[in-house]
Amino acid sequence: MSLEIRDLEVAYGKRTILHGVDLTVERGRLLGLLGPNGSGKSTLIKTVARIVRARAGTLEWEGSPLGDLSRRDLARVVAYVPQSIDQSFSLNVRESVLLGRTPHFGARPRARDWERVEESLVQLGLSDLADRAVTELSGGQAQRVLIARALAQDPEILLLDEPTSALDLRYQLQTLHLAHRIAAERGVATVVSIHDLNHAARFCDEVAFLSGGRVLAGGAPGEVYATDLVRDVYGVEVDLSTYDGFTEVHPRIKPERTVRRTELVEVAS
Amino acid sequence: MSAGLDVRPEEPTSVAELEAQVDSGAGRRQDRARLLLLVGGLAVTVVVTVLTLRIGAGGISTGDTVSTLWAKLTGTLPRTPEELRIQTTVWELRVPRAGLALLGGAALAVAGTLFQGLLRNPLVSPFTLGIAPAAAFGASMAILFAGGGTSSAALVGGALVSGILCAVVVVGLAATKQMQPTTLILLGIALTQLFTALTAGLQYIANEEALAAIVRWTWGTVNGAVWYQVVTLAVMLVIALPFVQLRSSAVNAIAFAGDDAARSLGVPVSRVRLELIFVAVLLTAVTISFTGIIGFVGLVGPHIARLLIGANHRYLLPFSALVGGLLLVLADAVGRVVLAPALVPAGIVDALIGAPVFLYLILVRKKAF
Repeated sequence: MSLEIRDLEVAYGKRTILHGVDLTVERGRLLGLLGPNGSGKSTLIKTVARIVRARAGTLEWEGSPLGDLSRRDLARVVAYVPQSIDQSFSLNVRESVLLGRTPHFGARPRARDWERVEESLVQLGLSDLADRAVTELSGGQAQRVLIARALAQDPEILLLDEPTSALDLRYQLQTLHLAHRIAAERGVATVVSIHDLNHAARFCDEVAFLSGGRVLAGGAPGEVYATDLVRDVYGVEVDLSTYDGFTEVHPRIKPERTVRRTELVEVAS
Repeated sequence: MSAGLDVRPEEPTSVAELEAQVDSGAGRRQDRARLLLLVGGLAVTVVVTVLTLRIGAGGISTGDTVSTLWAKLTGTLPRTPEELRIQTTVWELRVPRAGLALLGGAALAVAGTLFQGLLRNPLVSPFTLGIAPAAAFGASMAILFAGGGTSSAALVGGALVSGILCAVVVVGLAATKQMQPTTLILLGIALTQLFTALTAGLQYIANEEALAAIVRWTWGTVNGAVWYQVVTLAVMLVIALPFVQLRSSAVNAIAFAGDDAARSLGVPVSRVRLELIFVAVLLTAVTISFTGIIGFVGLVGPHIARLLIGANHRYLLPFSALVGGLLLVLADAVGRVVLAPALVPAGIVDALIGAPVFLYLILVRKKAF
């Protein structure tokens, strides 16, 4: 009962982005993808959603190849949440969430589609905003609309591509809490790409560190986090501690001492 | 999870609570309201179009026009010379004219809606991809070298062939190079410049009579409309509108979710975009080959429709057709009245009426697109 990614290789032209990636995401678990910019996190997520095509490797869900599904059938299994909402024109919140039902209906939505939309709106606390234009919402509210859209899609695999990168701290925590809750309560295999190691340690059941398109380490955050690993992946020295049962990462920051102009003058003279 | 901060949004804690909060009829009520607006828009468009048929010389009343339409529809022959005169005037001159305005306006507005949605840009119009300047070039060639007069077969053919060739180049390049919307728009700008320069070159070598004919064509008008033009556009719209309507949810996904997310929603983005751009350029090329350059309706018609019925393409596409048709019918009617007996081309009046309406909607209603 899992998403199995085996020996996945992806290239843009001659540039290989992912080199033989192997990962497993169980139903009901939240996997955090960690790694610096350009490490292949977004490409991996987009490959599972078939936005990007793999050059080699296999993707299986519960033992069946995802590649055998039509694009529409795949969209009934896999939902993708982009980093931000992209609208030149404004739909209202309800209609934006209805977009998630696109793979489920033909020419027009049926009663069941509207029911799922309204349920998603309630579940994400968006009912009061249902008639508002999406372009009038705050970043955090817009992010919730995107997640509601993905929920309305009724997916078994949920992919969130850096959902917290444009949000303030409260909305970052709220979004990750939602992702964790969706995974646990609905039995959805959920993957989130994320930069904050501490947030990943708090909310993710497992993490995978990507660097240069390869998975360097994977497992429960408490078992995987290591100073050597963080140095190898990010080139940053850190200390680790435990707080409230979660691993915490503390970068060793040594701000350079500011030299006053008067001191420079003294040295020169 | 954290001790000091509750980050959970307001959320139901049980299935019963969830069901209690869900108003599953809200979306359907919204749908019904829009359907009602669509039906109302259709009624207004039909009534206004019929009312405009009385405009013109000959002292023909609205009652005469309605009787003539009824007689034609039921196959009743005229019994007096006066009835014959009225029937000939209404059926052979005014109905084709109103029909060309109605269907041409509808075709341009639908094309504009498709372009704006598929390219995710509120500033594009059916002419953005260079089709109008290409058609103007074809028409100019016909006027100069084939002696094409207003609405002659040579002129219509020249404009149509040139417009479609331009469209084929754009769509072909878009397909083979897998172009992004912005690149497509830039390609259109380049082609616009190219054909504008070519047409200017033709105008430079044209004699005064030909130059006047070229300039008149670029004003855009439904003067001299004939039945085959109306029938051609009607057939095209009867095929195109259901084709487009069946893909309205795909257009929504592309317009409002972006290419990547639309693909993840099961939409074959590249195929849908190419198919619908092809439909839009065909509608545009055929329409302007009959009318000349009528630009404003394709840009502003969709915006007016969007402000009235919302941005959901399921309703926006048919409503744009009504708004575009109505705009051009009104523009032509005003053009016939305002300086009567002189005729002001619909292309000019269209912009003169449409711009203030558009400004009113933007400034007074202050709704975002």
